[in-house]
Amino acid sequence: MDAPVVASGLTKTFKVPVRQGGLKESVKSLFRREFRLVEAVKDVSFEIGAGEIVGFLGPNGAGKTTTIKMLTGLLHPTAGDARVLGYQPWKRDKDLLRRIALVMGQRNNLQWDLPAEDSFLLNKAIYGVPDSVYRRRIDEFAQRLEVTHLLDKPIRNLSLGERMKMEIIAAMLHGPEVVFLDEPTIGLDVTMQRRVRQFVLDMNKEEGVTVLLTSHYMADVSAMAERVVVISQGSLLYDGALAGLAERFSSHKTIRVDTTDLPADLSGLGRVLERTPERVTLEVERDRVSEVASRLLAAATVTDLAIEEPPLEDVIERVFTQSR
Amino acid sequence: MTTENPFSLLSYYRAGARVGFQRDLQYRMATFMVLVAFLFEPVVYLSVWTAVARAQGGMVGGFDEGQLAAYYVVWTLVRIYNTAFDPKAWEWRIRDGRINTFLSQPVHMFHRDFSFFMGSKIAWTLMWIPIAAVLTLIFRPSIAWHPVNVGLFLVAIWGGYAVRFLVLYVLGMINFWTTRGSAIFGIVTALEMIFSGRLVPLQLLPAWAQDAAAWMPFRWTFQFPIEVLIGRLDTAQMLAGVGYQAAWALGLGLLFTVVWRAAIRRYEAVGN
Amino acid sequence: MGLQREMQYRANFWVQLLNSAIALGTGIAAIAIVYLHTDTLAGWSSVELVTVLGVHLMVGGFLRTFVFPNMYRLMMDVEEGTLDYTLTRPADSQLLVSVREVEMWSLIDVVSGLGALVWAATRLADRLGPAHYLAFLLAVVCGSAILYCIWLIAATLAFKVVRVDNVMQMLSGVFEAGRWPVGVYPRWLRTGLTFVVPLAFAVTVPAETISGRVDWPWLAAAVAAATVALVAARLVWLWGIRNYSGASA
Repeated sequence: MDAPVVASGLTKTFKVPVRQGGLKESVKSLFRREFRLVEAVKDVSFEIGAGEIVGFLGPNGAGKTTTIKMLTGLLHPTAGDARVLGYQPWKRDKDLLRRIALVMGQRNNLQWDLPAEDSFLLNKAIYGVPDSVYRRRIDEFAQRLEVTHLLDKPIRNLSLGERMKMEIIAAMLHGPEVVFLDEPTIGLDVTMQRRVRQFVLDMNKEEGVTVLLTSHYMADVSAMAERVVVISQGSLLYDGALAGLAERFSSHKTIRVDTTDLPADLSGLGRVLERTPERVTLEVERDRVSEVASRLLAAATVTDLAIEEPPLEDVIERVFTQSR
Repeated sequence: MTTENPFSLLSYYRAGARVGFQRDLQYRMATFMVLVAFLFEPVVYLSVWTAVARAQGGMVGGFDEGQLAAYYVVWTLVRIYNTAFDPKAWEWRIRDGRINTFLSQPVHMFHRDFSFFMGSKIAWTLMWIPIAAVLTLIFRPSIAWHPVNVGLFLVAIWGGYAVRFLVLYVLGMINFWTTRGSAIFGIVTALEMIFSGRLVPLQLLPAWAQDAAAWMPFRWTFQFPIEVLIGRLDTAQMLAGVGYQAAWALGLGLLFTVVWRAAIRRYEAVGN
Repeated sequence: MGLQREMQYRANFWVQLLNSAIALGTGIAAIAIVYLHTDTLAGWSSVELVTVLGVHLMVGGFLRTFVFPNMYRLMMDVEEGTLDYTLTRPADSQLLVSVREVEMWSLIDVVSGLGALVWAATRLADRLGPAHYLAFLLAVVCGSAILYCIWLIAATLAFKVVRVDNVMQMLSGVFEAGRWPVGVYPRWLRTGLTFVVPLAFAVTVPAETISGRVDWPWLAAAVAAATVALVAARLVWLWGIRNYSGASA
């Protein structure tokens, strides 16, 4: 079977009006506007296999949302092609729309003044979900996300996190095969984030839902996705295992040694990130790791030594700052 | 809009109308106050025209006091059936991203909005009943309770709703091109005020204005349903009116599908 | 950036101008339609009726410029509990909450209302002397004061009943009744528009004055009504902030 999501050479160029200073220019711009072309997404290709969860990373304005909008049929690409479940998404074929879901921000699916249950009923009708399936899913999803007692409360009385959970339930009711989650945990507290992550993972495992996920929180991505696609300034930077990200983008590893008798001068070994009487953390170039480690072991009585990849946040930050 | 399975669309309309109904029933106090606020407008017009009729010896433009009263009492119900999706609201829908969710769903948002307002109208009508009772006691309107009139009135208020909903929906498409549509909405609202029969029965307008009104959809949304219920039209005229409503709804529906396609093409090109 | 804002302002200006023109246009159209069928409406000629329209637009413009935005902000402050900052300032709180916001472009309505008044007044010029203009000024000031008081009282209710937007909306509906002289209305409504929401004083009396029919007892009553309204608004306001402090303590 073909991969449910295929992007090949997706490109989106926006025409942006040039704003000029000066009153005269502003008046002129009312009649004839000059435009500048902005390439929001440049030749992006990737595939997502059935039942995969892929994290989609990139700094703000990198083109993540633009890409998701093309994959959900909200934007027409300037060039390139895409297939979601075999359909060109921007044709917005109803059969396709019935099989995907998009969660983009808060309260998009929900009727602000009414209990969530009413909005769910509307979605049930939109997607033609049979009664029995509907009831079962509501009960199950609400229980998993711990919102059963909130189903009859108006959305406006719910907290941000509770609303997001309802939003996700609404999006999952019709049993979509592919789900696009744009920042599903933004603004949620840690417990809520964890709950939402677990829910997405369960849906993926139990129902085989394919997920493309963007998030600001590395914790989200590392908890849910084994594979990441990174874009920056509209171009694809990396597509592969999450674990490989550090290897690819970070030229350093960290070595943490628990010891009390290291020499004061460690400048020949690497950059000292942290030093306490009992512990030293060093940043060491990747190809010198084993050499430095053995020199450390030789120079002092070491009670513990750990070689670690740098924190994912740092790697990502480095990726984005480098490419800018 | 097309190629829906009629059965599933019906169940969708039921669900959509339910949401509209529930929401307005939940805010019944607010809805009731809005209804009461609505009343000032027709009471003002009625007072003015009653004063004119009295100054003219009891009749003005073929309306006596009782008929004027009937006109403006039925006005209050027709006014309810004239509320529809505000063209300005498209700006919000686009800006807050809701439109993305709706576009990614397999049912056209036209049905969402149309059914929502249908449900809301039922809630409003329920709350209108006590108001109508009080108005009837005060103004003693003369209503044509003939079953043909009542039956066709039920058709005509919904027909009027459909036409007005489409007019506003087409206008709302302007928001896909500019955020400064409010000037155009203002002009249309003013035209509608005069040429729909909302301000005054069209018979009281100068002849040229009556001719102009014949070219606009507005009279079919407002004056026509009123006239059906107050018995100023014969059966043939009533049926013709319903025909005009259907023709306008059809024409506007076609116009909408064309404009909608252009709007979405533009939206797909620029996003937001 | 400043220039862009400037352009934005300009756009607002044109939109506001257009809206104002539409309001004036429909107002005049309504009057024209009425006088197609009659020569007098409750004793008013068509030119005289234009003064009513003019005063209504002008006073409406005043409300939209100075009163509505402040009252709206007051309601928001009460709802969000941010009024404390204002209440702790070393100045009169009622004055403060009444002058924080100005919706400048609505002044266009004042100007277009004034335009209608000038048009009508030049046609009625042979009836008007300096006394009329002075009396008109007095009547307009009293009328505006009364309307300000009514809206302040309604907004102060927000201290007790949190959502008062409906009351506001209803008041705006009532205000529309001021487009026509109160003499047109049936007695129950006229009574309401004289004693409850005194549009009679706010619109009809000034219009009568500027169309050369100063009714001195009514003018005196307008002054008295304005005084009563100011005192009442003051008392309600004091009661309101007492309640407010009581609530947050």
